[in-house]
Amino acid sequence: MEEKILAILKEHCEDALTYDGDSMMEDGVIDSFTVINVVGDLEDEFDIEIDAKYVVAENFKNKEAIIALVRKLLEE
Amino acid sequence: MDRNFSTAFRKVIVIGYGKVTGQVLQHVCGRKKEYGYEIVFVEHEVNPFSIMEKLCAENGVPFLQITDKKELAAWFDGIGEKTLIVSAGNNFLFPASLVQKEFITIINFHNALLPAYPGRNAPTWVICAGEKETGITWHYVTAGVDEGNIIVQKKCEIGGDTRAFELTEQLMDLASAAFRECFDDVVAERAAARPQGFDPQRRMYRSCEVPADGRFLLTDPPEQIYRLLRCVDYGKNDIFPSFRTTVDGREAEILRYRKVTPEKRRDEDGFLYLPFSDGDFLKIKYRYVECEDEN
Repeated sequence: MEEKILAILKEHCEDALTYDGDSMMEDGVIDSFTVINVVGDLEDEFDIEIDAKYVVAENFKNKEAIIALVRKLLEE
Repeated sequence: MDRNFSTAFRKVIVIGYGKVTGQVLQHVCGRKKEYGYEIVFVEHEVNPFSIMEKLCAENGVPFLQITDKKELAAWFDGIGEKTLIVSAGNNFLFPASLVQKEFITIINFHNALLPAYPGRNAPTWVICAGEKETGITWHYVTAGVDEGNIIVQKKCEIGGDTRAFELTEQLMDLASAAFRECFDDVVAERAAARPQGFDPQRRMYRSCEVPADGRFLLTDPPEQIYRLLRCVDYGKNDIFPSFRTTVDGREAEILRYRKVTPEKRRDEDGFLYLPFSDGDFLKIKYRYVECEDEN
């Protein structure tokens, strides 16, 4: 699972792979348009629906947060 | 060449949300030293990914969040000095009483080539109409919606697979570039603006309008369905309700869609594959929903 998520991040936002902070948005690593693309690819790849309530900065603060979000949705 | 950076504006207020807003604010901040104006940022619509508060803190700009329309109108009404208001990615309609004050100048970024596509969600309507080209307009604000004189415009092409959010981003980048080009002339009050010359009966696009009333038929041409789905695609921003159709006699809501090549076609429950004329397929994920009783 992680490898697939990292591959999606690599396609849309390679800097996210090496980012080690806790706010990709504020640090200019990712923007809201990139998030739309990442969310769309995650939904397709894992056949999940990512509700708008999960599409917030906290869940996209770094790659670990994105992985945790997908894991949570897959377990629901 | 020596440049004259004098301005009569004592204050510049930036209002809006989104990528263009941040870029505009940064440019205004970058010119503060030359012009000496005071800067204030106002956030009226709250975006979950907004970085404006941080940007303001970094640049020493007061950050005001005023989400209530009446409160915001009252705050603007309290301005008593010569002020330039830059509306960048903003949906707040400025009251006529504010617009008409002689010491207030307002400029606005519209995401279409005015006088075409005035009103809301212009990227949606240009994609819906199958336009090959669109662009941005910076214009002075008057009491009417998107009616003021044009300061600058920039064009861009619309690709055959472009989704609304992608076009929006492209237009924001264009708007930022155009703002950097015209700002010195605007702040020096020497910008050569031209009237729009629009038809008074032109269509004004309203926020409550949804392309094709939010429905399509599976018998519609896939290219047309694809265009409809792309034109309302703002990711998880629920600007428009999900499109609906009828699948096997039941009401269905469209969850997502994608153009795929034939080898990626799979027989899976909850997915439709509609053939494009070029051999590719429009893959649609749907789910059945209860049909609302209209009586």
